[in-house]
Amino acid sequence: MSTTDHPARSGAMPDIAGVAGRGGRAFRAVLRRTSHVGLVFYTLALGAGLGLATADYATRGGYPFGGVSVGSWIAWPRTGSLGADPYARAVNARRGEIPLAVGEGLLLTASQDNQGRTLTAGCTYVIAGATPPARAWTLTVAGRGKRDPERPVLREGFTSTEVLRDADGRFSIVLASDVQPGNWLPMPRATGPVRLALRLYDTPVAASAGTVERSAVPTISRTECAE
Amino acid sequence: MNPTGRFLLATLAGLVLAGLVHIAVVLAIPSLSESDALSKARTSETLDHAMPVYTLSTGINPAPTEAWLPIPDPSVAVGICAYNLADGPMRVSARTGALMLSLAVHGRRGAFYAVTDQAAVRGALDLVILTRAQYDEALANEDENDVSRDVRIVATEREGFVVVRVVAALPSQRQAANEAVQAVSCTIDSPTEDAAKSGG
Repeated sequence: MSTTDHPARSGAMPDIAGVAGRGGRAFRAVLRRTSHVGLVFYTLALGAGLGLATADYATRGGYPFGGVSVGSWIAWPRTGSLGADPYARAVNARRGEIPLAVGEGLLLTASQDNQGRTLTAGCTYVIAGATPPARAWTLTVAGRGKRDPERPVLREGFTSTEVLRDADGRFSIVLASDVQPGNWLPMPRATGPVRLALRLYDTPVAASAGTVERSAVPTISRTECAE
Repeated sequence: MNPTGRFLLATLAGLVLAGLVHIAVVLAIPSLSESDALSKARTSETLDHAMPVYTLSTGINPAPTEAWLPIPDPSVAVGICAYNLADGPMRVSARTGALMLSLAVHGRRGAFYAVTDQAAVRGALDLVILTRAQYDEALANEDENDVSRDVRIVATEREGFVVVRVVAALPSQRQAANEAVQAVSCTIDSPTEDAAKSGG
């Protein structure tokens, strides 16, 4: 680190450099006194601690990777099959999840709108369009963690039979805190991030999730935000 | 070697060790976990019908809070039948109705077979899960004139579970969906019964 080519900061730098120098000297002194046994302990502790912490981080919550991005959605075709990656299997085992098998259906999740902004409970979203071919589908919304017991559960999602459609078979669902005309999906909580899940049951696209086109999945667009 | 060099070497060794520990832990989690679906499903082995895992809320009864699926679909009733093929082949019979039903067979490593009610023959869906040896035995004992409607699936592992999902497209169908899950029977196909049947 050079201090000479930063004249504006030169007043503060010698102090920091001095502290760093003293720290470095003390550190080197500690190193010189440390025996081989100490270093071996350090290596083992670093390996075990870092290894366990990263393994816990990677298998906590959602699947770390293996999704296929389709528009705003991420499809998870392999999480339930024999070809699931070790991380997906570990996540399933930790959560007690029973994933959808390939012949059964396909799960798509969304945590961002079509402009890449995180879905939050304070905003209003319109989920519009069509779904890939399936015998039945459900579109549900969930917040992270436990649900608020004070908040009544009016509706958690729509099924393909329940949803009101236009004349051309397309639908538009409004995800908002306040009552809306048409397909109103209430926000599950007052604040914080929310996630959408689209589950397609008995669908031919489960075997080839990579070929689903953007136009075949609903778009998620933010209309307004209460600040 | 100077002290700083030794320290850097130790750090590098620690990072390599961390990578090994990470991989070993991630691979070991499914077999060590006690909260995974297979461990929880074992309690249903003694039942002769599917154990409800997620019961849909109906008008009077709210959905149970003890359901162990993390984010369940609020309009799909889920049931589970655990099997241990050491006791004999597992027979899963479902009657199809108005609601969409699917059966998926999961082993320890994941789902290896799934079928929906569209594959049903005359309103009945019969899966028989067997090991390779049991499958060979069933083929050898088969009467060629007797047409079997069973779907035979060879499992590579002895332990696993069958998941029943019934979709309630409308809230009024939730009661029926819960009942449809309970109505799926999971029994052990005992070889003596088969022998008696073929003899008589």
